[in-house]
Amino acid sequence: MDSILVLAHTEADGTLGKPALEALSAAVALGGELTLGLVGCTVAQASLPALPSVRVLAVTGEPFANPRYATDAAAAEALCRASGASLILAPGTSRWARVLPGVAYRLGGRADTHATGLALHDGAPAITRWFYRQRIEAVLTRAERPWIVLPDAGCFAPWTGATGAAHIESVPVDPPSTRTTWERIEAPAADRQTIRPDAKLLFVAGAGWTKKQADGAVHAADAAALIHNFLERSQASLGGSKSLVDLSGEGEAVLPFMTHMNQIGQTGATPRHPKGLSTCCHGEEPHVVGWRFIAQRRAVNLDPNCGWARGKADVLYIADAFAVLRELNRLLA
Amino acid sequence: MPTPLHIVVCGGIVPDPLQTLEPAAPNAAFPAQPSLKNEMMLPAVLDPWAAHALFEAAHLSAQVPGSKVWLVSLGPKAKLQQVMMTIAQKAPFELVAIDGPASGFTDAFAAAAALAATIEQIPGLDRGRLLLFGGWESASRGAGSTLQMVGERLGITEQFQGVDRIAARAEGAGFEIMERIEGGRHQVSLLSSPPAVLGWATGYLPEPRNNPQVGMANMRTIMPALQRAKAAAMNGAGPSFASVRLPAVERQTRIVKDMPPEEIAREIVAWMGEE
Amino acid sequence: MSDADFARPAMDVDVACVGFGPAAAGFLTVLSRALANTSGAAKALESRAAPGLPLQVVCYERADGIAFGVSGVVTRAHGIRATLPDLTADQIPMAAAVAEEKLVYLLDPIGVSHRSRTLRLADGILRGLKLARDSACELPYIPPFLEKDGGMVLSLGQFLEHIGGELMGAGAVQIWPGMPVSEPLIEDGRVAGVRLADMDVRAALTVVADGPVGAVGRRLDLEFGRPPGHAHREWALGMKMVVELAPEKALRPGTVIHTFGYPEPEIFGFLYALPGNLAAVGIFVPSWFRNPMRTAYRYLQHYMLHPHLWRYLQGGKLRSWGAKSLAESGRRAEPFLCGHGYARIGEGSGSTNPLAGSGVDEAWTTGAQLAEAVLELLLEGRPLTKENLEASYVALRRKSWVEQGARIAERARDGFHGGVIRGMAGMALAGMTNGRLWLKGEPHPLADLHEYYRGRIPAEELDRIVADCRARGVPCHDTLMDRCGWPAIPYDGQLLVSHQDALLMGGKVQAPAGFADHVRFRDPELCRSCAAKTCIEMCSGQALSPGEDGVPAFDREKCVYCGACLWNCTGNLEFAAGAGGLHSNEN
Repeated sequence: MDSILVLAHTEADGTLGKPALEALSAAVALGGELTLGLVGCTVAQASLPALPSVRVLAVTGEPFANPRYATDAAAAEALCRASGASLILAPGTSRWARVLPGVAYRLGGRADTHATGLALHDGAPAITRWFYRQRIEAVLTRAERPWIVLPDAGCFAPWTGATGAAHIESVPVDPPSTRTTWERIEAPAADRQTIRPDAKLLFVAGAGWTKKQADGAVHAADAAALIHNFLERSQASLGGSKSLVDLSGEGEAVLPFMTHMNQIGQTGATPRHPKGLSTCCHGEEPHVVGWRFIAQRRAVNLDPNCGWARGKADVLYIADAFAVLRELNRLLA
Repeated sequence: MPTPLHIVVCGGIVPDPLQTLEPAAPNAAFPAQPSLKNEMMLPAVLDPWAAHALFEAAHLSAQVPGSKVWLVSLGPKAKLQQVMMTIAQKAPFELVAIDGPASGFTDAFAAAAALAATIEQIPGLDRGRLLLFGGWESASRGAGSTLQMVGERLGITEQFQGVDRIAARAEGAGFEIMERIEGGRHQVSLLSSPPAVLGWATGYLPEPRNNPQVGMANMRTIMPALQRAKAAAMNGAGPSFASVRLPAVERQTRIVKDMPPEEIAREIVAWMGEE
Repeated sequence: MSDADFARPAMDVDVACVGFGPAAAGFLTVLSRALANTSGAAKALESRAAPGLPLQVVCYERADGIAFGVSGVVTRAHGIRATLPDLTADQIPMAAAVAEEKLVYLLDPIGVSHRSRTLRLADGILRGLKLARDSACELPYIPPFLEKDGGMVLSLGQFLEHIGGELMGAGAVQIWPGMPVSEPLIEDGRVAGVRLADMDVRAALTVVADGPVGAVGRRLDLEFGRPPGHAHREWALGMKMVVELAPEKALRPGTVIHTFGYPEPEIFGFLYALPGNLAAVGIFVPSWFRNPMRTAYRYLQHYMLHPHLWRYLQGGKLRSWGAKSLAESGRRAEPFLCGHGYARIGEGSGSTNPLAGSGVDEAWTTGAQLAEAVLELLLEGRPLTKENLEASYVALRRKSWVEQGARIAERARDGFHGGVIRGMAGMALAGMTNGRLWLKGEPHPLADLHEYYRGRIPAEELDRIVADCRARGVPCHDTLMDRCGWPAIPYDGQLLVSHQDALLMGGKVQAPAGFADHVRFRDPELCRSCAAKTCIEMCSGQALSPGEDGVPAFDREKCVYCGACLWNCTGNLEFAAGAGGLHSNEN
């Protein structure tokens, strides 16, 4: 049986984030000898899971506060070596996705990202992950060790239990010299913040919003106001089809708060939300994979043959999205 | 005047995203791993993220005079040739081709080894001025791990993933690099000097229009590069696939016609409120 | 700022070729081979545009790939084999040698097709004499003019990919897909090159191979006219699917079935068995089918459901789908084959043989002939003038089998303007007498809507159906066919799928952003006064739909560039070159 290291980075306050707790519960479910390895400026000992049999290792200090490849890789490498684990579970955050494949190489092991499932297969750990942009699902195992697996956020229930770790072993790491300086985080202005990973609803806007409407004119400003109000009132996260976000690069009438960051499907994200509502989307399989992980889906479209919705949504409303959204905003006011 | 850059773009090829894909069990053509049904017949394109990386490379290289762009691509020779007919019209580059599988089921570790070994051999490449570009993921493997391993193999420990922008600071004071992080935010870092690895998200540049002159200039090096392409040794251990399948069947869509918008809105609000 | 003030970038090449189909493939193959073997003639084949370099030959293809052409190909491959003597079917995916050939008359198994009394009588006799099985009657004999014995069935896409790969690999010519040519550069009565979206390409010779609905060919027709008496009188829309047959339905690769008689008597059809348990199945909806609400997709579904074909297709899966216009007038629509600075090859040059139902081999051959002529002129140091091209290319073409076949076929379609039976008889007569005899007929305008549906749908109801469909923004043919008794298509999500699903599953249609609509209507008043709006009904991708103000609305994201709208409109429609369209390399 594999010995497991759950490798996590702490948040600014030294606690573990939700993705880390998800990786922890996945590891606990798998069973076996477990080590918790932490990287961050500080570790809030009292907030850590109280798991008596779990060894806790940490690399801390100011140089490890902010995500940078060189320092994070050095810390992760040291923790992996110190733990001696053969299977390493690390949340698939942007911070770990940046460094852990490189760390796997340093350790002579392998890394697999975007795991959506983890279970024993013939007694050995096997992961589920998607290939070809969420179009083919595979279950795979590996003989090579150490094996670093990064589960996607939202695939496992976060660990819940008593907190207060008994003891933290500090692992000393000399910060490597690096030519990278962490500068800042840039977030959109509050009224332009439309990506809400924890929202219950994903609202997907398609290029239809910026096309000629029944009166032969484009109503991009109306569309923008309607969608913006809806997002404010529903606190939904906003996704856009590739054709809509691409329009922003072509200088056409677009929604001012829509950027490439909002894109789902194709080269965009495949977010996880319990519900999804798509509007004015015209598309095909590569676009539709953008809501592969949305549990309940509804669509509003004027085209009854819309490939995005037929067979992909639970309910398709054949209606003018402008009118429906207007009513939605009235009801949600 | 900033030092000219040597930008190497790693860009694989993937099936045209518009094609219908179906997995196939190991067979004579792909004995060791799963593949796609009719894999060799599917029209291919440059991986979309790698394409963004290439356009960004061309853009950056145009801003820093004297810079040069290489495109290192691993794929079956005939498919690479096909893809070059389109991509060569988009941006100036010199092709370095590696003849090997372009399958998403090939291990990233093996792909990284082949890429790194090839990059080490590029004549005239100054590793001190190297920016190693690529997509932060691919539309085939979707792993986002190849570039990091190529970087490690080349000894580059300044690495960035999910990059949306690189801007050269005035008077050679390095580069400001913007990476995507969670929640629609960006992390901004300063890189004082190359070498570095940049895995690109989509960036902000529109896809360049096809330019016949760029195509003709590129083609002078592309055909010789394809002729020179060495076969990559891609064997070695990799994952064992317990199952490979298409996702579950279609949903039964309830199609609602002729319902007034007020009523649709009421239904949607009720649904949104359900747990 | 006028166009003239705008400094458009330009580059010089020696030969610019428009479109990469079978004609251009033939042209470039012959030329490329000669350029690769220039040892003795290096100087003669040196570039004038780029001195010191070999001849600069570029080919611009509108579609995003070089293999996105559509054709239902069974070919004798005379010309292709003349250029490539070692070519065999096993070198190209989805190709097979013709193994078995059948000509089948399809009766109407459901009794709703628009058959004349004579035809119904004939059907009754066939049934009475028990000559029909599965509502079909296999003819004991295939006329020699139709036979493809010794030939090949092909996927045009795979064939072009194979040839394109060889050409690029040899490195002597360049092919650039995703590069629509908007128009020829015409200066003082000569063609000086071509205009791309952002650039002019100046060339000593422009080779026009952009097919029957290509923008460059049509512009030349407008500029230079056609030889007296020549015109596009007959057209057809070919629509096909590539079907993966159920494992138990395996057909011998190379089996060729030609059909006529159903779903409407005017509609011809085919099923070709390809290797890998695939089949190409399709129909031709011709311009002489007088239904103003004619369509191809719905008819193709009924065609596949005919018991004679369904026994093979049942349980099959749609792999690929596509459509294209066919220049059915052949040589009767031949333009001037060359002029100063240009030459025309392939289907747009009238090379298709409508009697043999063959176009790919002929197109290839005209391309190969032009290449031979150009090489001869270059090696002799003679300029590529109209006179020299006429004395070489045109002369070569005139004395070839392509021309002989085209002459025999020239009037073979005329009889169809007087009805299906007369048409079939006319074809047979022309075929049997080597074109010396034929049955006359002149094209009619499409039937009036009420006239066509007289006796089937009362006038008031017909008007109501049309008004209702237009109000809903959908074509009328489905509702009208339902009303006439055509059964609903039993969708199975695999092969029998909605029209939109065929676009998504059968090849994918895409339009890159940043381009203007390539289909436009010149005079909105004319559209408003057009009762039938056949352009909408015949649109292969449902890209045209009833618009708000009586002018059809165009959705370029669904256009497959079949060009059917062009010949189903009375001249009020502009059809320009554009990027995008259908993505399938299996058609």
